[in-house]
Amino acid sequence: MASDPDTYTHHPLLFDPKDKTLSLSHASPSLSKHLNELNTLSKSLSSLPIPIPPPPLPVSPHRSAAIDKLRTSGNNEFRKQQYSSAINYYTMAIQAAQTRPVWEPAGLMRDEMQVLYANRAQAYLGMGCWPEAYADADMAVDMKKIQNPKAWWRKGKALMEMGRVDEAREVLKDGLEFGEDQELRALLKEVEGKIDGRKGKV
Amino acid sequence: MVNLLSLAVPFAYITVLIGSLAVFSSLYRKRKALKAASLEPWFETHEPRDLYYSLQHHQGPEPIPNNVICSALLLRAKEDIRRVMVIRSQKQTLQQLLQRGSINDDVWTRFQAAEAELDTELRDVVSEANSLQENWGQLIFQTANEIFNHERLRERAKKAAQVAAEENEWWAKKRAQIQKELGISEEASDSDGVLVEPLGEKVAAAKK
Repeated sequence: MASDPDTYTHHPLLFDPKDKTLSLSHASPSLSKHLNELNTLSKSLSSLPIPIPPPPLPVSPHRSAAIDKLRTSGNNEFRKQQYSSAINYYTMAIQAAQTRPVWEPAGLMRDEMQVLYANRAQAYLGMGCWPEAYADADMAVDMKKIQNPKAWWRKGKALMEMGRVDEAREVLKDGLEFGEDQELRALLKEVEGKIDGRKGKV
Repeated sequence: MVNLLSLAVPFAYITVLIGSLAVFSSLYRKRKALKAASLEPWFETHEPRDLYYSLQHHQGPEPIPNNVICSALLLRAKEDIRRVMVIRSQKQTLQQLLQRGSINDDVWTRFQAAEAELDTELRDVVSEANSLQENWGQLIFQTANEIFNHERLRERAKKAAQVAAEENEWWAKKRAQIQKELGISEEASDSDGVLVEPLGEKVAAAKK
């Protein structure tokens, strides 16, 4: 049958006491991936008082506060139409959110990233960088589908601006299925108008 | 004499009957066991588990620090979480397929063995965790779950960056093509921002 629970395959691991990392002389790609993961995790655990990660909650508020600050700065720049500087702030905030210690709640990271990606998508739209706006809005929508009409709108808008009206229509319809929204409806109407206009000409 | 002969026939009959049944049953069981043993395991080798035990049995000049061993156990628990999710998501579908006769019993046997194996594996991890630190067993899967979800989010973020790069390439090509068709020089369109206009409008403008 499947592998015996009382046996295991022994790997002759080498431990380097200087940089405290493990290595293996002949590692398969998947095994070296696991080893890398192990080395990264043990490094982050070594910063703790005991090598056991604390429970996911409560979370230390420092990182969330820093991310919040960066996001607010980004929003301010956005209001001043300083789009590239806003994008810089959002990117920094995304970096900070992504490097949150792994034992802290992933749901928190998801919420923060969702907002940041959606905001960055809007800044990219402001600059006319449609492909980047599309990728960011796509990410935001993927992380939060319901009650996120703004991100759906941005995804649809980016597609429409790139001339991909059929895709835009599908995206907007998907978005409307997750919640009714006036602006989404309006954009869908605009996209459908474009599709009809194109058909009329051909 | 007559008595013995008349008895020998039924005895011989019974011996042959029981003997053949015994031979058949033992052969049948052996074959079944062999077949079960040769079945492919449901999951690939549990590499994080191998790594954890390799560390536990490590013999070297330097002892392995605790944080490395704890990380190895956490990653083992993370892989278990992935497996639990796979088993959960596949179970119902497999049951339906089995009822309809779309899959054979071998698949189902393999699946059930994997499920049982995972069960012992989970218990193993909890007891290992408790032996490393008191009461860690209650917490380890919670933490491993967060690690698992973190990883998925990071991978999604990586994919977003990839999507942006691909879309960018496509858009650059498309833009160049449109400009060529419309006979607009690169510089002019880059400076006055015509390129931000959607394709539909551009085509319409060209046709007017």
